[in-house]
Amino acid sequence: MAMADKLTLERVAKTFDTDGHRLPVLLPVDLRVPEGEFLTIVGPSGCGKSTLFNVITGLLPPDPGGSVAIDGKVTASTLGRIGYMPQRDLLLPWRSVVDNATVGLEVQGVARGEARRRAHAVLKQFGLAGFEDFYPFALSGGMKQRVALMRTFLFESDIMLLDEPFGALDALTRNVLQEWLSNVCAKYRRTILFITHDVEEAIYLGDRVFVMTARPGRFKLEVKVALERPRSPAIVTTPEFVVLKRQILDTIREESLRSIAAEQPEERP
Amino acid sequence: MSAIAAPPAPRRAAAPPASRPRRTGARGGWLAQTAGVAGLLMAWEALVRLLAIPPAILPAPSVIAHELVQLRASILSAAAYTMSSALAGYVAALVVGVLLAVVFAHWATLRRGIFPFFVASQAIPVIAFSAVVILWFGNGLLSKIAIAFYLSFFPITVSAVKGLQSADPMLVALLRTFGAGTWQVLWKIRLPIMTPFVFVALRVATTTALVGAIVGEWFGDNNGIGTLILQSLHTEDMVRLWAGIVACAVMGTLFYCTVAAVERRLLWWPAAALDA
Repeated sequence: MAMADKLTLERVAKTFDTDGHRLPVLLPVDLRVPEGEFLTIVGPSGCGKSTLFNVITGLLPPDPGGSVAIDGKVTASTLGRIGYMPQRDLLLPWRSVVDNATVGLEVQGVARGEARRRAHAVLKQFGLAGFEDFYPFALSGGMKQRVALMRTFLFESDIMLLDEPFGALDALTRNVLQEWLSNVCAKYRRTILFITHDVEEAIYLGDRVFVMTARPGRFKLEVKVALERPRSPAIVTTPEFVVLKRQILDTIREESLRSIAAEQPEERP
Repeated sequence: MSAIAAPPAPRRAAAPPASRPRRTGARGGWLAQTAGVAGLLMAWEALVRLLAIPPAILPAPSVIAHELVQLRASILSAAAYTMSSALAGYVAALVVGVLLAVVFAHWATLRRGIFPFFVASQAIPVIAFSAVVILWFGNGLLSKIAIAFYLSFFPITVSAVKGLQSADPMLVALLRTFGAGTWQVLWKIRLPIMTPFVFVALRVATTTALVGAIVGEWFGDNNGIGTLILQSLHTEDMVRLWAGIVACAVMGTLFYCTVAAVERRLLWWPAAALDA
């Protein structure tokens, strides 16, 4: 049977209060993520993906009635328990590659020497061997993003949330990093939630793909990706892949048309 | 399962050579500055000699230099005295300024309540305030330290508060997801980001601390460069007065350059890196 759920969301919603004006950003979401699953979430900008992540990491509390559980247990806060990687690399310019990568471990209370030792042990896998003493300003965008990923990987947690980690990279670099991430994840078996607005990326990386809709955000479609791993980059041209892509794109298109139609009457005076 | 291949990394030869950026052109700058000062002194000397200006109005640099050499022992000890009170006030201003900033940055209510009084206190002219300080702390070093401190700590506090608040909210959020509390965020992010802001104020404070120390001496002391200048005024000794001025200029310049050098050493990373 299926493995135990690593992360469970029950009726997690988020409403913002701006000037006494209630703005629902995320409608109630139920989600079960089994241990070791790579789950990708696609959706247009402003669909509440980042809000969802902020709630899961514990940066924002969910609306009353919703809960986030790890290993089936709800705690006061999930802060410090989930590895989070935001869109921007957010490296500290005064720290070298190794010392940037160990920030999370340091916060967790791992001694500096030990944290550095762990970082050195994985440098090669992150394609940063020989660059350990470099500072961020001397690195390319792709390398900075790998340092940020390494920081998230080193942080001791079973769950990782990656928020469009490759969004700012050029297409070629992105493809290389996607293939590499797919392999790294297969090896470490972490439970991963990955946000993107690139449908191909979502299918290529994911075991399951969720499609979100915009304003207010909710889960619209769930697609299982039964493609074998390891996946070669050429998989994106196989018929199975194209069918999935078609299905997801249709859903997004349908939803976009509906939201445009819904917006139109408001534009009239 | 096969080993994971590392993604292609740029070849080392193509990578930037140094881990930290090197500063260039510093030597050329020194040369130009030395030449500029030398040129100014020569023009001054020539002007005084050609127009036969008496030393009681404007002494030539050579005359001032002669006076400085003659009085070197007393000028050096006076400079050391003035510098020690300026430096003590300066360090106190840095410590108190940053501590206050940390308090203000974390407790907004406190900042709103106390800050207006700080601003008002800075509107009091230093001369009026100095008299009170002398009456409180006497003629010794302590009163000069207090005045130097008073003149310097406010700009440092303001810059430090601004620096502490300028940390990228996303970066703070990232650290919080790692489980960092207020102090870890302060230590790992806010203080390093604050540092360049504080150094801007610290450069300016070299001057104000020195001014504070000298003005303090004018209100009663029998030591220090301020006292030497005041005595020269009473005896209308223009050459000695200029010797005192030169001593002040040298102290101020050395002070400023030292702080700038410390800043360059501490803040070697490119400032723009965080905006990327």
